[in-house]
Amino acid sequence: MPREAEISVNEREFIRQALQENIRLDGRAFDAFRPLELSFGEEYGVVDVQLGKTRVIARISVDVTTPLPERKFDGIFQIITEFSPMASPAFEVGRPTDAEVILSRILEKAIRRSNALDTESLCIIAGIKCFALRADVHIVDHDGGLIDASCIAVMAALQHFRRPDVLVEGEKATVLSVREREPIPLSILHQPLCVTFSYYEDGEIFLVDANLAEEQVRQGEVIVTMNRHGEVCQVAKYGGATVDPLAILNYINVALGKVKDMSAFIQKRLNEDAKKRDVGGLMAELSAENAR
Amino acid sequence: MAPEAHLSHLHRADGSATYTHNGYSVIGAVNGPIEVQRRDEMPEEATLEIHVRPAAGIGSPKERHLETLLHNTLRSIILTRSIPRTLVQITLQVRSLPEGGTVTDVNTSLALLPHLLQTALLTLLSASIPLSTTLTSVLVAIPASKSSKPIAPLLAPTADDLLRARPIRSTHVFAFSGNRKLLLNESHGVFTYEEWDEACEMAEEVCCKDKGGVGLNEGVEVDGSQVNLDEWLRSVVKRKVEVEQRWRIAP
Amino acid sequence: MATSSTVLLPGDSISPSALPKPQNRKKHLTLGPGLRHMPPNTIASTIAGLLVTDSKKNAAWVEYNSGRYLPAAGDLVIATVNTSGGENFNCLITPNTPYASLPHLAFEGATRKTRPQLSSNSLVYCRVINPGKDSFPELTCVDPSTGKSEGLGPLKGGMVFKISLGMARRLLAGKKGGVTLLEGLSEKLGFEVAIGRNGVLWVDGGSVKATLAVGRAVQEVDEQALGEKGQKKLVEKVLRGL
Repeated sequence: MPREAEISVNEREFIRQALQENIRLDGRAFDAFRPLELSFGEEYGVVDVQLGKTRVIARISVDVTTPLPERKFDGIFQIITEFSPMASPAFEVGRPTDAEVILSRILEKAIRRSNALDTESLCIIAGIKCFALRADVHIVDHDGGLIDASCIAVMAALQHFRRPDVLVEGEKATVLSVREREPIPLSILHQPLCVTFSYYEDGEIFLVDANLAEEQVRQGEVIVTMNRHGEVCQVAKYGGATVDPLAILNYINVALGKVKDMSAFIQKRLNEDAKKRDVGGLMAELSAENAR
Repeated sequence: MAPEAHLSHLHRADGSATYTHNGYSVIGAVNGPIEVQRRDEMPEEATLEIHVRPAAGIGSPKERHLETLLHNTLRSIILTRSIPRTLVQITLQVRSLPEGGTVTDVNTSLALLPHLLQTALLTLLSASIPLSTTLTSVLVAIPASKSSKPIAPLLAPTADDLLRARPIRSTHVFAFSGNRKLLLNESHGVFTYEEWDEACEMAEEVCCKDKGGVGLNEGVEVDGSQVNLDEWLRSVVKRKVEVEQRWRIAP
Repeated sequence: MATSSTVLLPGDSISPSALPKPQNRKKHLTLGPGLRHMPPNTIASTIAGLLVTDSKKNAAWVEYNSGRYLPAAGDLVIATVNTSGGENFNCLITPNTPYASLPHLAFEGATRKTRPQLSSNSLVYCRVINPGKDSFPELTCVDPSTGKSEGLGPLKGGMVFKISLGMARRLLAGKKGGVTLLEGLSEKLGFEVAIGRNGVLWVDGGSVKATLAVGRAVQEVDEQALGEKGQKKLVEKVLRGL
């Protein structure tokens, strides 16, 4: 079974030495993200996120199905993360690595269970028809920070996506095609984002947005998910080494600043994209509906 | 519209390319030659592994079918004997499909096939995997004629072209090697031998016929002049070499 | 050596006029990477790149700068020790490839009793003696004729930086490679480097700052294809930064 090549002892020692001297390999501050870039596809709900050399593509797609019998008033929302050998030969199709399992678990907690998406709004006719929304996360290039990048990608894609409108007449529902009726945005309740803290030297040093080499050297990680209003959605800690509880409070403080910055950045890009698409004032109409 | 290509833009993979044409966009990556699993190892040849990943969802039999077609075609141009007991792993991720592409009556996997082939070749070039030749591929669609007069086949049609020309009676994918030999043909629908022959000739013209051929309807253009796909490929490689060699002329 | 402007695609045959004109009739034509001979007398390329000929050596090859490193006999590489077997170390030249074997006795002055102890994931600067097309690659840290290390052996401390394969070739090519950066830096800065053809640069500058400065400067020359002037400017910038 192919495995990710381990980092050499020289690199490990050097990175640790550098951290003690307050230096990161790429010259970043300890609490700085790599340059974030976000672009949208021609279709709604396709987002390409670049975080340094890491690149993630998220795509939202929708289908109409029957709601789950125990949740008659809810639509279905799924996040699918499957690694492919594109990002690393160590990723095998159909054999999830630990990183893959952790990523899907964190996204599940951060986005789905924190009710970022109002699934009730995906219901068409209670108990009979609903929208099934799925978010596919494709890891294209892997240089660490997959969780943070994937979360940004999914949240931005959800905000960018437009679902087709439906016409309900009694028991009969007609899904209107894009040509017939302008599609409508999803109802998003809040925007959780993840910030991963990697810690070293028994928690004395922590890094925000570690790259792959830094991830390979770390003792453990703490992933904080919160929205820009300062509400914490989940905190997860992996790796055996211990962390001071107060350090986690500090992480949350740092994360809030980062989340605010990133939310503003995503919003800026969404606005730019909306402006680009705004031909004939259709978007103006839509945003009026949105504000209601 | 001329196809667009970006080469070697991913950091992890040994070779990578993004190919965008007619609303389709495919990202490809190659890892190789790398270690092959014992059960797949061949003493005198390289093993080829192809993953086609759809834009949404995980692979289905449709993707497995495409993988088989790609596998057989690429196997014939990769010099597998020069890198024995290794693995060449190609991953093709469909990034976007043309909007409204599913409403036409064209087999969706057939329409995707030329884009996958083109992307795969570009990634192999980017990874410097030894090849015996290059390949170019194109889709030809033959609309059903409402009168007795036959309609001209559509070459590399866009989703809009197909929508306007509905109903489509048959679709054909052709791939030609750099030395103008037919490498692959997949056809779908009802057609006569004459129709197939015409489609094949048209495809050959856009893929690799010498100058003076018709060229793509919309015209594949390089520096303003119409060229066939083979010459387009050459221009892509020329750009790659220029980027690699720019240190020689840098001040 | 003549760099032509002939851009080759796989399958292109090389016209006899483009091949080097041998000065010495007795010397056979040598085909380097990216070219193959198809009997009776066709020479064709197998990869995309630029045709380069050397009439002095009567050789021709394709120059390219993408893809994975393929071991070739005589190449200097920086390998990572994975495990230690009974007689040799199992090393990786590039990730996810079969192990290359480095015998315990292929070090300067090594005997059965004084064999080097290398832990897993340590780095070794070594030479490829057999590219291992038909078996596994073989490495050595001594010159077989003299028994001396000639600078090869375990690399202690320092840091490795990823560079392109073309950059590694240029750094090893001396003046022809057009990299003046290291010379420029060495006028003011003391450091050690080892260049692996597998796209690995090892630097030890004594301190974290100096090592990083040298490593990153080489990467910058590589990525931005800096010419002589650009490199001079970079040297000044780096030295000022320290």
